[in-house]
Amino acid sequence: MSGMWVANGLSQDLPLGVVMAGSWQGAELAIWRSATGRLSAWNDRCPHRGMRLSHGFVRGETLSCIYHGWTYGTDGACSKIPAHPAMVPPAAIKAEVYACVEADGVIWVAPAGTEVVLPDLSGLVAVRSVTVQADVAALTRGLPGFVQHGAVWRGQVEGAAVALVVQDRGASVTLHGLGAGDRVRLSRWLDGVRRLVEEGVLA
Amino acid sequence: MIAQAVLNEWYPVAMAAQVGAWPGRQTQLLGSDIAVFLDAGEIVVQRADGSALAVCLRYGHVWACLGTPAHDLFPIPEADQPGRRLVDCGVVRVKCSPLRAVENFLDIAHFPFVHTDVLGAEPHTEVGRYEVQIREDSDEVWATKVHFYQPQAAKSASGGIVTEYMYRVAAPTAAVLYKTCPNKPDAWDVIGIFVQPLTEELCEVWPWMALFDDATPQADLIQFQQMIFLQDRSILENQIPRLLPLDPGKEIPTQADMTSIAYRRWLKRKGLTYGAQMVAA
Repeated sequence: MSGMWVANGLSQDLPLGVVMAGSWQGAELAIWRSATGRLSAWNDRCPHRGMRLSHGFVRGETLSCIYHGWTYGTDGACSKIPAHPAMVPPAAIKAEVYACVEADGVIWVAPAGTEVVLPDLSGLVAVRSVTVQADVAALTRGLPGFVQHGAVWRGQVEGAAVALVVQDRGASVTLHGLGAGDRVRLSRWLDGVRRLVEEGVLA
Repeated sequence: MIAQAVLNEWYPVAMAAQVGAWPGRQTQLLGSDIAVFLDAGEIVVQRADGSALAVCLRYGHVWACLGTPAHDLFPIPEADQPGRRLVDCGVVRVKCSPLRAVENFLDIAHFPFVHTDVLGAEPHTEVGRYEVQIREDSDEVWATKVHFYQPQAAKSASGGIVTEYMYRVAAPTAAVLYKTCPNKPDAWDVIGIFVQPLTEELCEVWPWMALFDDATPQADLIQFQQMIFLQDRSILENQIPRLLPLDPGKEIPTQADMTSIAYRRWLKRKGLTYGAQMVAA
């Protein structure tokens, strides 16, 4: 079931109290980290008026929609409707919740209830994410000598082990880069990969 | 295939004072290419095939109808009231359904979160019960007795006040609000939005004002209204789906959304479904 899990960023890029946009296959997601560090991933849509929750704000252990301030707890249930402060929101008002975990510095998302089976990235350090304007098929051009295992491409850069975790966004691909060697060198190498793949697409 | 009821309505297509000679303003109405231009001193609106549309000039705007006008353009009596300043605030293009733009204009509960410290502020978030009706005589949606605390209700306001509002949907893509006038407690400021539906998911919005305010420079009034509307645009371009869902179930309203509920019901009843999503997707 590891194919169900989609990488959505590096842990270091989602600090406490922050929400960001994410994706699972075609679905758009809001991924956020509470004040105490709890990770959540939801459908990027407030049930009230369809506003993207990824534009919202985190307070403590809740995420609020930026449109009307409707507030949701980490279980996805609406806990507050500011227009009606005295009302207890009906249980039916609930964000659509995905499973969200992090391991080895990578944030992973899957449909709720998916068994947690993730690639082993231990021994590598999360470096950075790079978004490439190309589809997944174009990646082979920029990654000669790399071997693909599901969402993870493994290889060597200047003698050090590297893993790139691929997040397919349809028209673009985000590569979440981890490595055992020098971080700055790996970061520069990733820029080169992006150029190669994008130029290959143009040519 | 666009419903006849939609084609027979009036829509704003230009600001009258800005219309020039051919090619004039090349734009779209309900997905059709149109040109708005001056010909021998008259404003003409025509399709790509050269056929002319019904036109009327009102409130500083050019209004056009692609079909046969079902009725005259709605009245705004305050537009002709002595002492009012008419302020046109330019145009804002928004990638959303024209109906979503109108619905947002009718909404109060977003003020503290979208227009923070201007039209609203936490903890003053409560929307009390107000009255909503679909008036059968004028065929308009009205909301009255709407009260809301505002830190800076208008450019001319110098502190927080409880503002009273009335809202009025006068046409499928035009709405007018009446709000407490900070300078003249016995009168209402009148603010409208006139929305041109370019396509079902793209519109151009003209905010429009008729105010009792002699003091504030025109540029400041326009800047204030532009600021408000650009804040609204950041919402409107990020609602999913772009189309306004008319069938219940896709979105969850509460008591504060009574105006929006009535607006959606009115649109559905009249078959004004351009920019609407009818089947829950």
